[in-house]
Amino acid sequence: MARAPDSHKMLPSQENLLVDYVRRLEDHKEGRKALHIKLSALKPYNRREQHVRAAANNFEPFIKDLDGQLFSLKNSDFFFIYKQDIQSALDTLVQQVRYMFSDDPLFEKGVDKDHGDFTDWYDAEADFDKILKLVQRLAEAEHRRQEETHDKRQNTRSALKARQEKGDPLTPEVLGRVETSLSRADLSNLVRRQFVCLINKQMTPEQRFSELYISIKDLRETLLPGVNLLSNPWLFQHLTETLDRRMLAMLSKTDTLTISGDISFNMNVSTLLAAEFLNFDDNITAARRGAMIIEVQKQDIFADIGAYLFAREFVHEKGYRVCLDGLSYKTLSMVDRERLGVDFVKLVWDPEMGDQNEEEKEKFVEEINKIGRGRVILCRVDNREAIDFGKSMGIELFQGRFVENLIAENNRRFELLRLKRRMERSEMHEG
Amino acid sequence: MTQLENRRKMEALLTVCFHGERHNASKQGIDGLVMDNNSPASAAPDLDEISEERLLLERLRGIEDDLTGVYSIHIRLSALRPGNRKPHFTRIAVRAFDFVTENFDATLYEFSNCDLLLLCNYVPIEEVDPSISKVRALFSEDPLTKAEEGSKDDIFATWYDLAQEEDYENFIALITDLEAEAEERRKRTAEDKAAEKYRYLPGVPLDPSNLAAINDIMSESRISDLIQLQSAIQIKPKAKGKLLFREHYVSMTGLQKRVAPDVNLFGSVWLFQYLTETLDRRVLAVIGRRDFSALDSPISLNLNLSTILSKEFQKFHQSVEENAFKVVVELQMIDIFTDMGGYFYARDFLKELGYRVLVDGVNPLSLQYFKPGVLKADFVKIGWGREFLSEIPGANKNEMQDVMDRTGKSKIILGRVDTEKAVEWALNFGISRFQGHYIDTIVDAMRAKEII
Repeated sequence: MARAPDSHKMLPSQENLLVDYVRRLEDHKEGRKALHIKLSALKPYNRREQHVRAAANNFEPFIKDLDGQLFSLKNSDFFFIYKQDIQSALDTLVQQVRYMFSDDPLFEKGVDKDHGDFTDWYDAEADFDKILKLVQRLAEAEHRRQEETHDKRQNTRSALKARQEKGDPLTPEVLGRVETSLSRADLSNLVRRQFVCLINKQMTPEQRFSELYISIKDLRETLLPGVNLLSNPWLFQHLTETLDRRMLAMLSKTDTLTISGDISFNMNVSTLLAAEFLNFDDNITAARRGAMIIEVQKQDIFADIGAYLFAREFVHEKGYRVCLDGLSYKTLSMVDRERLGVDFVKLVWDPEMGDQNEEEKEKFVEEINKIGRGRVILCRVDNREAIDFGKSMGIELFQGRFVENLIAENNRRFELLRLKRRMERSEMHEG
Repeated sequence: MTQLENRRKMEALLTVCFHGERHNASKQGIDGLVMDNNSPASAAPDLDEISEERLLLERLRGIEDDLTGVYSIHIRLSALRPGNRKPHFTRIAVRAFDFVTENFDATLYEFSNCDLLLLCNYVPIEEVDPSISKVRALFSEDPLTKAEEGSKDDIFATWYDLAQEEDYENFIALITDLEAEAEERRKRTAEDKAAEKYRYLPGVPLDPSNLAAINDIMSESRISDLIQLQSAIQIKPKAKGKLLFREHYVSMTGLQKRVAPDVNLFGSVWLFQYLTETLDRRVLAVIGRRDFSALDSPISLNLNLSTILSKEFQKFHQSVEENAFKVVVELQMIDIFTDMGGYFYARDFLKELGYRVLVDGVNPLSLQYFKPGVLKADFVKIGWGREFLSEIPGANKNEMQDVMDRTGKSKIILGRVDTEKAVEWALNFGISRFQGHYIDTIVDAMRAKEII
């Protein structure tokens, strides 16, 4: 069963927040100053996380009284923008911080107070351009560093993937062993979550439900490095029946997985008709059933359509919703959503979709409309192109790495908004 | 007895308070006679194996003095299509009655032919209706549930008002018959069962632990003598026939006997598919030894998509080469749906080499849910099923015609034809290509007359 690949969440970086903050400072620079504390100049053993946190704690009283805003950067440096009224109190504080690290070689040569190796002091009004340039430089450096590590990680991952693709094929013996060990294993640390979102014109994602899935990649890395679990579709399909049962066990124990909102998960038709699912169903409330969407693979439906229709009727009656997973743009026209009685249809993004000619695209739009615009989910969306294309075809719901990035981006925007409110509050306080 | 009338009567009876409407003496006499003649109560029961049918008869015996307010619903799951009569389906259907049996004086009996029987005592009908509807909905794709509820065509659920003399007699007769059948069934051997169950082979299910060994045995066993032939023909005007190809397939019963007599090869759909990959290679090796230039009629072979791209197929092709037009490759729907991209690739690859491609594994039910025309194969084989006939006449005709037209009539082969009715049905749609046991007899006859 195709489980979506993992996503890397991008959290709003302090560097970006700082640049934004300084830009806004332009209108309020009067009476404000900036302090750059270069913890990055200290020896690595002096700037471990706990040291940095302890140093940052010293600034708390100022932040509480809205007398300043601290940014703690990735390279361990601090950037503190404050009202000049607290200058003398801040001088004392800097002495304390310096004292904390007095055993560092940096202080052996007796560093200069202004424009020294440890601290830089700026006047927001006089040095505004200098400050802006500095923070922009810091942000760029951080951005570069992130890209490099990301590339490195990607390279490791793709190398690993390549190795595994060539890796030993899954054999019945290995399958037997894996299934036996899985039947006892706690897989909660392998469960991943990805959101299905409505995306509006402003590219703001609105979460509809999230898919919970067991990361096959991580399962393989944990359990069977060097074995390609996907090498034989039939053996893999059999393995998913075991994974279904583990997922049901986890979903039954609410303390194992903290879940909010509507969720979806993959199930084989055979599992839906098995005792494990009936037990699961017995132990959850009607309200939770209404918040669950069961994803079924197309090949599973067509392997025994009679069994599927029976299972669908059964789960629908109980209140679950059903999503048909794994359709490609080529197979979309082959299935009749209404007849199959599914609530959602997942269409796998393929860049080739954009290469269709006008006539094909028109037909495609027709298919989407027939299924229902709010019922088609374009999944494995990993770039902007996919969303633009999907929206131009009338698709409203999206899932994939790129959507996860949009969610992170959106969170960052919220964070900025919060900061802005804070600044405004501090101005009111001042006024 | 019309069911609708019966229902109404019963509703009236139960809403009004009903007392004194008891059987008269003569009826009791008849009841007694019926019971004495047919009830096996006099035979000493085997305590370990008391059937549900028997339990019900015993129960009726205990309450027959006052049947006021007692009614029963017989749900004939045994009349469903074989594919719908699976134990795990029944298990789920039974749960639909949990509410009624837990909250009212009602008992559910699960008969050995998989019929269900609900016996109710003073249970409001509106409390029972939802359960019946749920079960009906579960099997909504089966023609059996198509008839309007309560109408006389409705053989899915039959209601009996046991306070009514006529119903009571019919009911006792029915249960007594079922009890006798259950006894018969119990005595029957596993061999007989195999014949009536859908894709049933005896033995423990295939699982990863026995799969490897079976796969190994299969790679080394002789299979050439297990390969069987069946002709697909086109029926032409003036009762003439044309041979399309002869399908070469491995007898599964024979294969199981040889490689794994104690394992049901169909026990897991996915693991069975895995085995067919090994089987493909064996078949290609055997058939590949033929002299294809001397082959006078085309053949067809069942292959997996993965096999098409294997070394073994390359080797097979070296022996076929320019005679590829004499070979039809049959691909299964389940395989195609698993890797649609792989299918399109394999189809183009095969066609380029000169082979013809056939899509197999389509049945009347699946045909209603997807349109095989998109697959653009040379042939689509649709398995005949009595569902094609048992639909309400004319209801699906237009739709079926539409599917046939879109797929292309000349591409459709009706497979598993075991009756003349199937041929008649298909000819009406303009289908003229057939395969199946019934067709085998026609082919033999045509050969004798030399008209094929």
